[in-house]
Amino acid sequence: MENFNTPEEIINYAIQSEQEAHDFYMELSELVKFNELKLILKQFAAEELGHKQKLSRIIENTDQTGLIQESVVDMKMADYHVNIVPKKDMTYQDLLTIAMKKEKGAFKLYTDLANKISDQNIKEIFLGLAQEEAKHKLRFEIEYDEYILKDN
Amino acid sequence: MSLKDILSPLSAWRNITREPVTIKDPLNDRPGAPRYRGFHKNDIEKCIGCGTCETICENEAIDLVEVASINAKNGDSGLRPLVDYGRCCWCALCVDICTTGSLSMSNEYTWVSNEPEDFRYIPGVDKKSWDDSELGWKKPDYSLIPTERIDMEEMEPSLREGSFLEIVRGYSRIQAEKEADRCTECGICVSTCPAHMDIPGYIRAVREGNMEEGLRLLYETNPLPEICGRVCTHKCEEVCAVGHSGDPLAIRWLKRYIADQVPFEEYKRILGIQSIEENGKKVGIIGAGPSGLSAAYYLRIRGFEVNIYEAKSKGGGMTMYGIPKYRLPMNMLDSEIGFLEEIGVNFIYETRVGEDISFDNIYTKHDAVFVGIGFEKPYKINMDGEDMPGSLQAINFLDDINKDKTVDVGKTVAVIGGGNVAMDAARVSKRLGAEVIMLYRRRVEDMPADSEEIDGAYEEGVKIYPQSIPVELIPDENGKVKGIKYLKAEMVSDDKGGRPRPIPIEGSETILEIDTLIGAIGQEADYSFLPEKYSENIETDRGRMIVDENNQTNLEKVFAGGDAVNRTADAISAIADGHRAANGIEKMLLK
Repeated sequence: MENFNTPEEIINYAIQSEQEAHDFYMELSELVKFNELKLILKQFAAEELGHKQKLSRIIENTDQTGLIQESVVDMKMADYHVNIVPKKDMTYQDLLTIAMKKEKGAFKLYTDLANKISDQNIKEIFLGLAQEEAKHKLRFEIEYDEYILKDN
Repeated sequence: MSLKDILSPLSAWRNITREPVTIKDPLNDRPGAPRYRGFHKNDIEKCIGCGTCETICENEAIDLVEVASINAKNGDSGLRPLVDYGRCCWCALCVDICTTGSLSMSNEYTWVSNEPEDFRYIPGVDKKSWDDSELGWKKPDYSLIPTERIDMEEMEPSLREGSFLEIVRGYSRIQAEKEADRCTECGICVSTCPAHMDIPGYIRAVREGNMEEGLRLLYETNPLPEICGRVCTHKCEEVCAVGHSGDPLAIRWLKRYIADQVPFEEYKRILGIQSIEENGKKVGIIGAGPSGLSAAYYLRIRGFEVNIYEAKSKGGGMTMYGIPKYRLPMNMLDSEIGFLEEIGVNFIYETRVGEDISFDNIYTKHDAVFVGIGFEKPYKINMDGEDMPGSLQAINFLDDINKDKTVDVGKTVAVIGGGNVAMDAARVSKRLGAEVIMLYRRRVEDMPADSEEIDGAYEEGVKIYPQSIPVELIPDENGKVKGIKYLKAEMVSDDKGGRPRPIPIEGSETILEIDTLIGAIGQEADYSFLPEKYSENIETDRGRMIVDENNQTNLEKVFAGGDAVNRTADAISAIADGHRAANGIEKMLLK
């Protein structure tokens, strides 16, 4: 687990995570067979860049007002769905599962970090980041609920 | 001229002090009788513009006209009646026949205007002083149209266990004609039917006992009436005008009645397909489901050489392999497909494109290609243990049952899902003698299955556990399914106006002991047959091919239809896709 001393360090860490997520989706977009899925993955990647820019603005303004503080509905799909191994013939269902699990991983990471920090200011930034990831996860879960679980 | 002729007109002056009789006098008001047939009123929100009032009017005093503020939508023509008091005789038949009960008449009976055009008006739209009057002529308690549907005889639920005989018996001639008699021929159903079938026309043919005309009308837009007459989702009945004040017409059963009456050997003669003039063009069709069969029929009768490549040993697609025999007996499918063979459609069975023949081969050999591959790849539930023995996918299970294979589901079966496939899997399991529990994430009212399928499942003793989310399959000591763990859910409204979302309740884990799990949460298209040079270029939306108004994809000379294109997941939409694509192919190759 990383050690952080200042809010800037935390945000920089989050920025790096978003960049890694972007790179992950871009790599997947090269892997999949269908044009639509390539585009969706590139869109996911672009969204991660958007999150990165949002975090950069927080550093520039040295405040965390851009982070949502209220709790986000948790459909828990990412909790009980099995892991999907990225492969060439991935489907839309596979992509959404990978994405929601990735966001859940990020949510858990920030929540764990928040629990280990005593500095209230830093804790709140972590919790804010965690909620931001929960919001991203919910978006994928709703998409999954609407299109994959139409009959369920 | 006599003196009397001069004085008589003056005698009219003696009436000047009498009470007025027909012209309203504010000082001496004479209200009409409470149920007087005064002037027309119309509740335009309730009115659906079915035009039955216009049809019944002997004086042609009613015209259906467009109204700027009302848009046409499913079940509403967007038109509203305009009444012409130069023609109206105040018989009020228009009110008595009104299917929605929106039309009525005021008890106010005097109206003075010097402007003749005023007496042609749209009740409810052109505001009148009597619009809010309580009294006047309303649709009486009796109805000119019988409100009750002629019952369809069905096999008793208690007799269904162990039986795959067709549940629905079909109408007799007398029953069919009586039911057809209820139709007002308004045609409001036609635009809702994905294939835009001439529903009023074929119902009239039933009423007149002209089955040959009925069959011709069916085949104008639907070459699989036996199938649709049994398993169509019958959206037409949801908008039936008669359904506003009673039971909607049994449109599907009437279609089935026509198809059942005409022997297949007569089809060629009746439909006028004795000989086909070849046009020299070839079309390859991938998949012999409803969309492929429909495209094949309309292309073949226009002289195209049609080759259908089908992975399975019979045509029909999901209707053949996914719908249980008690809903759709297989001989119906065999006969309809047999008719297509008779008119010269070439079926190449047991040939999976991508394995037994390449897509490239089909593409280069034909002038156009129609892709009707359906949704044959089931979605996995993606829960722990899903791949263990005893865990089945509904479409594979139903396929095995339809092929008369023996499937041992044990004593207790859990079915996951709430669509028609889930209902079929549950009701088939029940017929195999199992206790069946359906786990569904949402509420029963949210189930996408047809309501009659849900009712049928209940009748046959299927239990439905709503708001139940499966999370894990539990194995026995041999690694076979022993139980399923599920969570109860609470429904949380969606801020953005979507359907409520099921949210698992912490600590609500429940384990259900089962012998078999059947997953039926949905399916998707399997595009593994497409080489990368096509898959990288074909435009799709969440796995469905995007097509234009001719059902053509963005790939040159490739058309598509059915479940892999539309979102309605029903046979009639697939049939309509096939018809549109045939028109598009004809336009591309011959015009």
